[in-house]
Amino acid sequence: MPNQNGSVYGLTILSPIINDERATPSHDLQIRNYLATVPTGEGSPFALAPGTHLARLVVMDDVIYVGSPSIEEHLHSKYLVFESNCDGDLDSYLLGLATAVPQHLDAIWSHCVGYPGAANPQAFAAYMKACQIETTFYFAAVNDKSVPETLRALQTQRAVSDFIARHQGMNAALLQAEFAQFATRLKSEPLPASGSMGPLRGLKTGGRNE
Amino acid sequence: MSNINGKVYAMNAITPMKPWKTWVVRAIFFTLGHVKSLQQDLINLSFIEFARWVVVPRQRFPYLGNGQVKEDLKYDYLLFFSNFNGTWNQYIDAFSAVLSNGLNLVWRWSEKFPGSVPVTLFKEYIARVQFDTDYYFTAYPHATANDLKSAHIVQASLDSLVQRAPNCTPEEFRSAYLNFVIQVQAHLGDTGEAPVIF
Amino acid sequence: MSKLNETDIQGFVLRGYNLPFARYLFLHFEDSARARALVGRLLPVITTGQRWDHGKPQSTANIAFTHRGLAAFDLPEATLLSFPVEFLQGMKDRAAILGDTGINAPEHWDKLWLDNHVHAWLGINGQSPEAVDARCSQIQALMQETGGAMQLAWQDAAAIMDDGKPTSREHFGYTDGFGNPDYLGVERSTQPGQGKLMPDGTWAPLATGELLLGYADEAGELPVAPVPHILACNGTFMVYRKLHQNLATFRAYLEERSAQYGGGMEKLAAKFIGRWRDGTPVELSPDWPDPAIVQDPNRNTNFTYGADPQGTRCPIGAHVRRVHPRDAFGFNGRLIDRRRITRRGLPYGRPVPEGEPASDAEDRGIVFMALNASLSRQFEFVQQQWIEYGNDAHQGNDKDMLIGNHRGHGKFVVQGDLSATNPPFLCTHLPNFVELRGGDYFFLPSITALGMIAMGLVDPR
Repeated sequence: MPNQNGSVYGLTILSPIINDERATPSHDLQIRNYLATVPTGEGSPFALAPGTHLARLVVMDDVIYVGSPSIEEHLHSKYLVFESNCDGDLDSYLLGLATAVPQHLDAIWSHCVGYPGAANPQAFAAYMKACQIETTFYFAAVNDKSVPETLRALQTQRAVSDFIARHQGMNAALLQAEFAQFATRLKSEPLPASGSMGPLRGLKTGGRNE
Repeated sequence: MSNINGKVYAMNAITPMKPWKTWVVRAIFFTLGHVKSLQQDLINLSFIEFARWVVVPRQRFPYLGNGQVKEDLKYDYLLFFSNFNGTWNQYIDAFSAVLSNGLNLVWRWSEKFPGSVPVTLFKEYIARVQFDTDYYFTAYPHATANDLKSAHIVQASLDSLVQRAPNCTPEEFRSAYLNFVIQVQAHLGDTGEAPVIF
Repeated sequence: MSKLNETDIQGFVLRGYNLPFARYLFLHFEDSARARALVGRLLPVITTGQRWDHGKPQSTANIAFTHRGLAAFDLPEATLLSFPVEFLQGMKDRAAILGDTGINAPEHWDKLWLDNHVHAWLGINGQSPEAVDARCSQIQALMQETGGAMQLAWQDAAAIMDDGKPTSREHFGYTDGFGNPDYLGVERSTQPGQGKLMPDGTWAPLATGELLLGYADEAGELPVAPVPHILACNGTFMVYRKLHQNLATFRAYLEERSAQYGGGMEKLAAKFIGRWRDGTPVELSPDWPDPAIVQDPNRNTNFTYGADPQGTRCPIGAHVRRVHPRDAFGFNGRLIDRRRITRRGLPYGRPVPEGEPASDAEDRGIVFMALNASLSRQFEFVQQQWIEYGNDAHQGNDKDMLIGNHRGHGKFVVQGDLSATNPPFLCTHLPNFVELRGGDYFFLPSITALGMIAMGLVDPR
């Protein structure tokens, strides 16, 4: 099943964009204009909804002519490409999007043919799957970690680096005590927000200078 | 509108293929997908977070009725989506330098593909068939694929030390801690801002 | 690959002269006709790559131009625009790309570089200060006679002496100058470890086109070059960077940190860069310096990192491992063969022997010059990706220990093992040991191209 690689899912969706000559600006441009305003950091709809590692939205205007002697041909519709690298089960991912960020989804996909709206998550999921193209080959550098596990690990890495630096040469008993405190603090630390530039260096790691 | 978010670059490319060749490409990808050793070079290249190839047969562009006109195409299309770290030039240079056989195998069925060596012709082709990303999200813009792998190693090592620590005497802990530091010592690089793209 | 035409290539490109004294003049052209006349008069003075069958000359002279300098000759627009964009912009405008920010930002550079007046670099090397003076006077006389150029400034540089004998040490005490690659067709006493790694573990010269325009490069094509071909062929691009060294800061940091390090001060100094201060590669001799290795050309650059993936011998972030990773990125080194540069240059300023008080404020450092066929693919890539960033080396955002722009926040991990004298150790709060004081990108043309410029005979096609 090439859509899946380990526990990550490679979702590829091509939604035909409404071709209405009376629309000004045209529907594809309306999508572009809206996407230009959507936050890409921790305010992103893909940060607010669960399960997205990386995702992109692309207005595909046409196929590309590569030059003679190949044939020049054109699409009748423009397509909105949604490429997502997400956790696990497709249905729960799509339902999660529809539940968490329906306004964004509607603002984007309402310019696509046959879009039912996200108010009914089941209908939204069914629509997305009708536009899905099976991925032929899918590569993932890390395929066994969820988004929360990844954010946690990045936070841990930074904290561990600081801890080691601050405890060089410390005697064993004190080190053990400080480590126990550190492990407890780290565990209770909230997860850094998805889409953010990572944890601030605020976590107290003990040792010298603190 | 940008192909870049933090440390990742989103590349989209589309190339036309004569329909009979699509079956060859499918067979190649099937093999690549099922023989993991063939993916080793992709893994070792270490700056691709996720990548995919998607064959779109000419009659299989999504058709939803509602007044949409059915596509009428002569070619099948091969879509390529990559999420990589570093610069566009670095990415294509590396592809051409160490994966040229693999890339030729995948793309030689596309119209006008010049081969992945020499690299300038290859770059011209990729630039021609690339289309730009409108919106790009990553859950961890401050991290590369290498950073992620390092972080998971640190997390696993820490988890195991946390389990052991309470049952150790201070001396046993000192030794376990030293082993822990040695396990993670090559994986402590900072995460943060990406260099300026050029 | 046939032998190169050494009479057409400037000598500075083909060999490090190994002359201990240098003066670099920076010139400004005011009038294109007079500037061309000067180049014509300089032509017989320019040192070519021809072999020195009768021993080393007393002095040498070479010349290179900024893009503004080439424009001052009134070259055709079509030619001027055909140069690569990074050369068109010059190094100052590439500051953000290069990480030349903060204390290294152009506003802190020497005044010489601030108003974009530098049109030419004229490099003089000599056996003695008198030989340099003599050559300098000869050239200044030509400048006066033709009225072709104004001298804006000069930079003196000299090897650090030991009992009156030149050494290859720099101010921090490290032995320098091991790293230059071999190229096909360039006659030089080659040694293993200086070219590219072959699948069978041997070393071979890099393609000529990694150094010189007009020849095939490691990608199997001609490097990007300006038109016409004859203007570019046998020429190369040069980076000039004046790197100030904070000697007091370096010594204090090393002393303070090594007090906590089980391996001692000299070992920590060696771990910083991957060579002991005498030049012994840490990868080959992790526990002590070994003069026998340093003196053996078959060993002193002949090593790889494949057996040391964790960096327990040579740290993963050590300077020499970063700037010449050999096989460290896998693929038998093929990812690095198009990122190599050829280094030239000498220290400047008064050396301070170990143990004597030193200050950061004194004017002291190294004139770093690098030659490459593509500034963006080679020098800029190395500077941005391997010095100011660490992802290729799996070191995240950590920068090069020695020359990174750390701003007091840098980190360097010395990987280690279970032994007491090679423990893992983190160096944090790294300051800037080195600061950039200015520089630019230059085009170093062939003798033929200099002649064309002098005669005003450059056609874009």
